Amino acid sequence: MNFEFAKGSRSRILAVGLLAITVLFVGRLFYVQIIRHDYYQNLADQEQIKRLTIPAQRGLIYAMDGSTPVPLVMNDSVYTMFADPTTVTDIPGVIKEIDQVVGASNAQPNLDSLMREKNSRYEVLAKNLTTDQAEAIKKKDFAGIGFQQQSQRTYPEGALAAQVLGFVDSSGNGEYGVEGELNTQLKGKDGLLQSVTDVSDVPLTIGKHNISKPAINGTNEVLTIDRNIQSYAEQALAQGLKASANATDGSVLVMDPENGHVLAMANLPSFDPSHYGDASSLADFNNPIISDPYEPGSDVKTLTMATGVDKGVVTPDTTYNNTGSINVDGVNVSNAEGDKEFGDITLQTALNFSLNTGFITVAEKLGDGQNITKQARDTMYDYFYNKFKLGQVTGIQLAGETPGIVISPESVQGNAVRYSNMSFGQGLDVTMIQVASAFNSLINGGNYFKPTILAGTIDSNGNFQPAKQGGSVTSVKATTSATLRTMIHAARQSVASIAAKDKPGYYIGGKTGTSQQVVNGTYSDKLTTATYLGFGGTKETSKYVIMVRVTGPNFSGSGAQDAIPIFTNISNWLLGYLNVPPENS
Amino acid sequence: MSYQPSTMYYTSRRQQNWSRNQNTTRFISSVKLGPVAHTVLIALMITVLGLIYLTQATRATSYDYQSQKIDDQIADLSTQKNDLEVENARVTSLQTVKNSDTAKNMVTPTDVQYAQ
Repeated sequence: MNFEFAKGSRSRILAVGLLAITVLFVGRLFYVQIIRHDYYQNLADQEQIKRLTIPAQRGLIYAMDGSTPVPLVMNDSVYTMFADPTTVTDIPGVIKEIDQVVGASNAQPNLDSLMREKNSRYEVLAKNLTTDQAEAIKKKDFAGIGFQQQSQRTYPEGALAAQVLGFVDSSGNGEYGVEGELNTQLKGKDGLLQSVTDVSDVPLTIGKHNISKPAINGTNEVLTIDRNIQSYAEQALAQGLKASANATDGSVLVMDPENGHVLAMANLPSFDPSHYGDASSLADFNNPIISDPYEPGSDVKTLTMATGVDKGVVTPDTTYNNTGSINVDGVNVSNAEGDKEFGDITLQTALNFSLNTGFITVAEKLGDGQNITKQARDTMYDYFYNKFKLGQVTGIQLAGETPGIVISPESVQGNAVRYSNMSFGQGLDVTMIQVASAFNSLINGGNYFKPTILAGTIDSNGNFQPAKQGGSVTSVKATTSATLRTMIHAARQSVASIAAKDKPGYYIGGKTGTSQQVVNGTYSDKLTTATYLGFGGTKETSKYVIMVRVTGPNFSGSGAQDAIPIFTNISNWLLGYLNVPPENS
Repeated sequence: MSYQPSTMYYTSRRQQNWSRNQNTTRFISSVKLGPVAHTVLIALMITVLGLIYLTQATRATSYDYQSQKIDDQIADLSTQKNDLEVENARVTSLQTVKNSDTAKNMVTPTDVQYAQ
């Protein structure tokens, strides 16, 4: 084949034309592919490569049922049904289907107008649909209707232990309780899938920038809470408050004194974690057992007595002359029960009748025998703060724990008058969990266990992995503990009408507390907080410690009247539930 | 296509050592391919290789769709399993058990004996 490239020939013109076009193409390609390479690469990547977050499943929360973990908090799949009004064709059909399948409760009231919003591409028609409901509607294959799957917390046991659990807010973060404190562990870590996708967002294996990082699901936590004890405690507390005049607020704490495990934490008023937005007050989210320091009252007399016995300055049989009051640095401090048991009485009697003077006497004996000296105050502070861990956070795995305060003798306010008040439970702010944990050590041989609410975890195979047990520190000598246990038992038995209500054959003890409420910075003469702190089990071993608190803005009851019935109710039930055989059987 | 036989003697040491086939012959093609034929052949080879690549790439993509389908099935089954677990927890919850007919028909024991 011979081409004629004579000057001016058509072949030459064609060749020159083609060459020019080729140069143009090559030049343009060079510009696009070489010079603007990064720019167009980015554009292409944005279009083709999708970064999809693989959501981590939030860890479940279990309680115990005896020795078996049972779920308290789970994740449920729910669906939001939406419409693209520009593509919806069968509006009456969609409305009819929603009416039949979903009902009015979860559907929007104005479905027809929503689907006629032609300026919008997204209108929510119904929320919180179950999988079955979503599947039923999907089968109809309506044009312009879609579903978004979401995960939300669900509570098979309803509002049980609500303040222990807390809740998960709309942004997926845990608030209050275990959800708040263990949010990081429960939340897990979202995974990432970066891949070239097709038009339907199906990830394709082609492409060199693909990343597949699986999600790490949150840890499944098992609590020490026993759901049966928790349920009974909540029920008993509700009954107790109902029976007490003006008692609106109450708490019950049940612990295993042998290891510091919390078996139940009940509070009223409470809230429903699945509808936390309906709570009547933000205060309902708080767990008063750990976050509401108060003046515990006479429960603390057991700790003062333990301090005196442990230091060897008093015994249960030590006597003093009860005149109804004691002058401390010019301030007359008197018994609440003013006219009882005058004369020479033992400290056991003082405990039985909850006489303040008896425990001011113990405080004095820690000093020079006549005054609450600096040495006495130092000793009391050492026991209260360092050994019994009052006035400091216990470290229990719940959000919102507050330390309270025990005034140091080094402070100006840590004078003899304050320490005389502290000897019978006023002048210090502590939480129920602090007092109950200290009390555990009085009746278990002198071992202080840090309170815990975590029993372990459930691994990915569904097996329960118990948590490593924390150790204990010695608060008082074993002999001191034995002495106090006997004294506290005797204190309960000294009131026949109370002892008669206990199940026969068991070793049960306890101490009442009735403290004045502080209103506008001063002690109220009428308003009180009633408590009862006791244990139960056999003579050899205490199986449980129960602490009850009853109060309210207009409450003026007492520990004996209002807290003991709740304790007795739970105690008698617990002995059966824990299968504790009576000693005379 | 025909070949012209031509006889030649190899002088390599290896062949010198051969005891047999010393009169080996080779054939030289009389067909000569020109530049256009070469270009066409190369273009054909590139086309075939391209088709092979496309076939393989498409096959890999079809696996992606199968994989996605299986992933969707796993997700559906996982959702169903989760729903069943939630349902199981609900029907075995304390409140449900307390309200069951069996529980309502239970009576409080009047006398309890403990095995020693």
